[in-house]
Amino acid sequence: MRGFRKLALITTGVTYFLIFIGGLVRVAGAGMGCPDWPKCFGRWIPPTSIDQLPHGLDPTTFNFTLAWIEYFNRLAGVLTGLLILSMAIYSIVKLREHKKLLWPTNAALVLVAFQGWQGGQVVALNLKPIVVSMHLVLALIIVSLLIYVSYYATQQMDENVGIKRAMPAKAKMWIVLTYGLGILTILLGTQLRSALEVIRDNFTAMSESNWLASVGMIKHIHMTLGLITAGLGAHLGAKVMKRAVNPTSLVLKSAIGLMGLMTLQIVIGVVMLVWNMPALMQLFHLWIASIFVGLVLILYLADTNWGEVSNES
Amino acid sequence: MSREVQIAKTVLWSMLTVALLGVTALFVIDRADRSRQTLPVIDPVPAFQFTERNGEPFGLDDFAGKISLVDFIFTNCQGPCPVMGANMAMLYRFYEHSPSVQFVSISVDPARDSLNVLQAYARSLGVDDNRWKFLNGPLPAVKILSEDGFHLAADQLPMGHSTRFVLVDQKAQIRAYYDGNDLIDFDKLHEDIRNLAGEKPAPVTRNDY
Repeated sequence: MRGFRKLALITTGVTYFLIFIGGLVRVAGAGMGCPDWPKCFGRWIPPTSIDQLPHGLDPTTFNFTLAWIEYFNRLAGVLTGLLILSMAIYSIVKLREHKKLLWPTNAALVLVAFQGWQGGQVVALNLKPIVVSMHLVLALIIVSLLIYVSYYATQQMDENVGIKRAMPAKAKMWIVLTYGLGILTILLGTQLRSALEVIRDNFTAMSESNWLASVGMIKHIHMTLGLITAGLGAHLGAKVMKRAVNPTSLVLKSAIGLMGLMTLQIVIGVVMLVWNMPALMQLFHLWIASIFVGLVLILYLADTNWGEVSNES
Repeated sequence: MSREVQIAKTVLWSMLTVALLGVTALFVIDRADRSRQTLPVIDPVPAFQFTERNGEPFGLDDFAGKISLVDFIFTNCQGPCPVMGANMAMLYRFYEHSPSVQFVSISVDPARDSLNVLQAYARSLGVDDNRWKFLNGPLPAVKILSEDGFHLAADQLPMGHSTRFVLVDQKAQIRAYYDGNDLIDFDKLHEDIRNLAGEKPAPVTRNDY
């Protein structure tokens, strides 16, 4: 179990790193860096110079930098896939009794394989916005499963990982709502970015601040939902800090992290509005949002855990 | 280790990780932006109307929608032209799967370079399709096009023609010059052509996709 837990934690970390790289591919505009899939310009290792382009490919499509950025995303994806595969094998061989570990791990394996194929569709459909967004949502579901598994693996070793005092049942519902709103806001954020890209490509004379001004309703919906979600998240963190008696360090860290990240997230949102969406800020905006989803999930699990432990004992 | 220290440690490590990721990401984004820098627009190509080796007219309108590499040559040239021809021929073969790229060689010795002569010259360079145009036009007009249109020296034609290649974009605007002789910078040329190809839908400043 110790080994499995370690593996699960590493895999979760690597998956978050992968989400970061995926966001980087997007803000760097490297999504079509490799116009084919799974190979890149017909090669397993992308060309390092234009002379290595395979015969029959249009050289005007080749950009060394963008190809390697996209390729790195694929490499990290393969690494994540292999890690989840080893988790799945481990769970089937040794943890068949632990259904709470077995099923989510194997669900993650199926989803990560699907995610790889879906990444090919992202390229095949030339970065169609909804397909790109689905690529991210799938990643969030996979990382959620991994957090779930990591959490229960930890609990198998240390029953005292959760909150020592349950929150009211209504709070649980609020956590689920916060989690769902978080994913919805992220989804809207990716759509907002796509809408901005459409404006940019069609009205090139406009300045960047004008794009943001003319994008319409979706901006307001994303901002409103974002503020509500951030508020709920920070409130949740504060509530846990206040209510939990003898909270474990995992719970404390998650609650503090939630409050800190939500403050940071709003600051970044304002920076983006004022300074015309710098690429790096977009990247962290998305990444923090995906970590937010994970922390909310941990707090949810920590709460349920308390109930179960008390029932069993 | 007390809990406070533990939490402080986690926060510290998180901040370090974020800083490291941020710096790396900044570097990558910067590299990506640089990799598709737009070329300055130097000048529009002026109107002209010459004749291609197949007898069809070729003029300003034929630059529309194509990335064009233009040079001034003459078939009887013994000096730098063979190198120019060889370089252009190499590029012509390189871009055989890029229908958006065309090559335009304008004769500075129109009296001698009849359409038939140009046709034979094209064949000798291995040209077997219409992606490479060979143009014949009246000498005074060729001189004006070279000097005033493309800003290339054209003293005492045919010998005094320029050895440079000119990159013209899909809107018939001059975007870059290259040495067409031994000094040719193929890497820069390829990069510029790719960047122009990326501009196709509309000129954008960054994030082409």
